[in-house]
Amino acid sequence: MNAPVYAVENLVIDLYTPSVSVRAVDGASFHVSPGETLAIVGESGSGKTVMTLGPLGLMPEGVAVDLRGTARADGRDILTLSPSELSALRGGFFGVIFQDPMSALNPMLKIGPQLASQAQKYAGLSAEAARKEAVSLLARSGIPDPEDRYDRYPHELSGGMLQRAMIALALAARPRVLIADEPTTALDATVQAQILALIRTIQKEDGIAVVLITHDIGAVSVLADRVIVLYAGQIAEEGTAIQVLTAPVHPYTRGLLASVPDFRSESATGTKEIPGIPPNQAQLMPGCRFADRCDMVQATCHSHRPRLQTVGLGDVPHRVACPVVIAAEGIVTHD
Amino acid sequence: MQRMFMRRTGLALLLMLAATALTFALVSAAPGNVAALIAERAAGAGADGEMIAKIANDLGLNDPLPVRYLRWLGDAVQGDFGVSLRTGKPMSEEFAARIPKTLALLAGGGVLALALSLVMGLAGAVSNGGIVDKLLHGLALVGASTPNFFVAAMLVIVFSVMLGWVPTFGVSGFTSWLLPWITIALFPGSVLARVVRVNLQEAMSRPFATTGFAKGLTRRAVLLREALPNILIPYMTTFGAQFTLMMIGAIVVERVFGLNGIGAFFIEAIRFRDFIGMQAVLMLFVVFFVSVNLIVDIAAMLADPRLRRPRKA
Ligand SMILES: Nc1ncnc2c1ncn2[C@@H]1O[C@H](COP(=O)(O)OP(=O)(O)OP(=O)(O)O)[C@@H](O)[C@H]1O
Ligand code: SF4
Ligand SMILES: [Mg+2]
Repeated sequence: MNAPVYAVENLVIDLYTPSVSVRAVDGASFHVSPGETLAIVGESGSGKTVMTLGPLGLMPEGVAVDLRGTARADGRDILTLSPSELSALRGGFFGVIFQDPMSALNPMLKIGPQLASQAQKYAGLSAEAARKEAVSLLARSGIPDPEDRYDRYPHELSGGMLQRAMIALALAARPRVLIADEPTTALDATVQAQILALIRTIQKEDGIAVVLITHDIGAVSVLADRVIVLYAGQIAEEGTAIQVLTAPVHPYTRGLLASVPDFRSESATGTKEIPGIPPNQAQLMPGCRFADRCDMVQATCHSHRPRLQTVGLGDVPHRVACPVVIAAEGIVTHD
Repeated sequence: MQRMFMRRTGLALLLMLAATALTFALVSAAPGNVAALIAERAAGAGADGEMIAKIANDLGLNDPLPVRYLRWLGDAVQGDFGVSLRTGKPMSEEFAARIPKTLALLAGGGVLALALSLVMGLAGAVSNGGIVDKLLHGLALVGASTPNFFVAAMLVIVFSVMLGWVPTFGVSGFTSWLLPWITIALFPGSVLARVVRVNLQEAMSRPFATTGFAKGLTRRAVLLREALPNILIPYMTTFGAQFTLMMIGAIVVERVFGLNGIGAFFIEAIRFRDFIGMQAVLMLFVVFFVSVNLIVDIAAMLADPRLRRPRKA
């Protein structure tokens, strides 16, 4: 496997607003390599966005962000960079695609010139070459009549076309890592598959590392090489997509997969939601975060925080943070 | 889009008609007899009832109100606004002499308010909660709550009396305009500075600002390139409202600084019960208010791509 282009270790992120303080990410580690897709799944509020955008300094203004750990982009810890160094890295090294392209694109700015200015700045092109590059990026992102679309404002395009434009915008700076935060959630079902296919194509062609945040287990099974299951800011389970999707160990992962309609046809016995709600991250409890909702819960779960244990060997270790199931099912661990 | 312009313009014309009719009715209802005033001016104490009645008859003052209004309107659209009862000169002459001064006051004040508010609002947003931001916030609050006659008095005391940099009274060259401009610009400039600051903050919390950061722009670049265009529409609308209010400010400022503009004339017209002059100036105010609002409305529509280029269904 290639060496990681982006590697995050022991990330802890605390958020402070005038009304709340939250430990949104609590000791998570992850990495991606060129050409690889890492999927991050988990319920709303589990910390997927904060974990991926927080280290890039992309949290909205008005929230104070306290980051600890390391996040190495090409070996350089981005958590120690000055704001201007981080700005430069955001454009050139990381490309970001957001959930809702309608609100993520500036309504007062035309699409094409934004792409061109990115290409000019980060790919070092002349103004003329940058314009050509912008048009070809639009074309490559599957936007018909790109010459015409170049001069369009966001409100003149459909949601699917806008997300394509957003992808083109992220690619204009030729990033090494693409972070896609639920890139299809706001789109029609028919368009979703097209957007995912586009991301996949571009990734294969350019050898970009992709971090895909999604609720869509189907998308994970198609696109992801590896998966991280996040629960309340902690990693519950991680491994290859095949390991996690076909042989889940953590009760939360099992619940999550069981709640997905017709994910595996043999389990078409009806879907069930995981009962209960995620814990309030403003009031941290000792022990397993999932304890209040877990049907396997033991007394020790409330007092001991489970650590990730390796349950399957291979190129990519399959790791699970639940000693109870590991013991109950006699699963062999390797660490 | 074009139909929208036509509708707005038509509405503006209707509004002008209604407002001039209303002011005409109000001025007519005010106590005081135009014919008696004219007779007094012509014959001094010798004016008698017979003379007054003749004048009233000659001027058609006994006709019903709608007839008088339509006659006034007919004259007005031809540029004849009557003869001032106070100065005895045709109002068109008074306008020609005074409008340029008032316009210079408003234009200079408007530009100053514009510059002041953009610089203050942007500097505050760049500082973002820092000392500069807090200082400018305080300054804007003071500016928006100090009456302009007080501002004028302070400026005159400091810059004319104590420092002797600019004349206290009357207009002679560029420097004499500085204090009036500052005085009239302070209030709208302060209000607009808050509009810039608050709307920039709102824009910076929107997802497109995050996209701006993700593109690799620095915070300052996101403010200028992404957020600033998005405050254009609320800014223009408030600017229009503030600019029309500056006309009211001009009444005080012209008097304090001895500028013989429309505002100063209006005060005198009221004091001397110059009904003709009052009516003409009120009409001018109405035309000013309505056209400024119309221009701002249309400009705001042109500035917003969503309105300028509505999506084809
Ligand atoms: N701007 C913010 N201000 C305050 N708290 C925040 C903010 N953004 C996120 N949080 C908190 O951080 C935690 C993680 O949120 P995050 O947005 O990362 O979740 P997510 O997994 O991306 O959810 P979703 O699927 O809804 O996007 C939550 O507890 C959330 O309340
Ligand atoms: S550690 Fe306990 S509470 Fe947590 S998932 Fe495992 S069994 Fe459930
Ligand atoms: Mg999210």
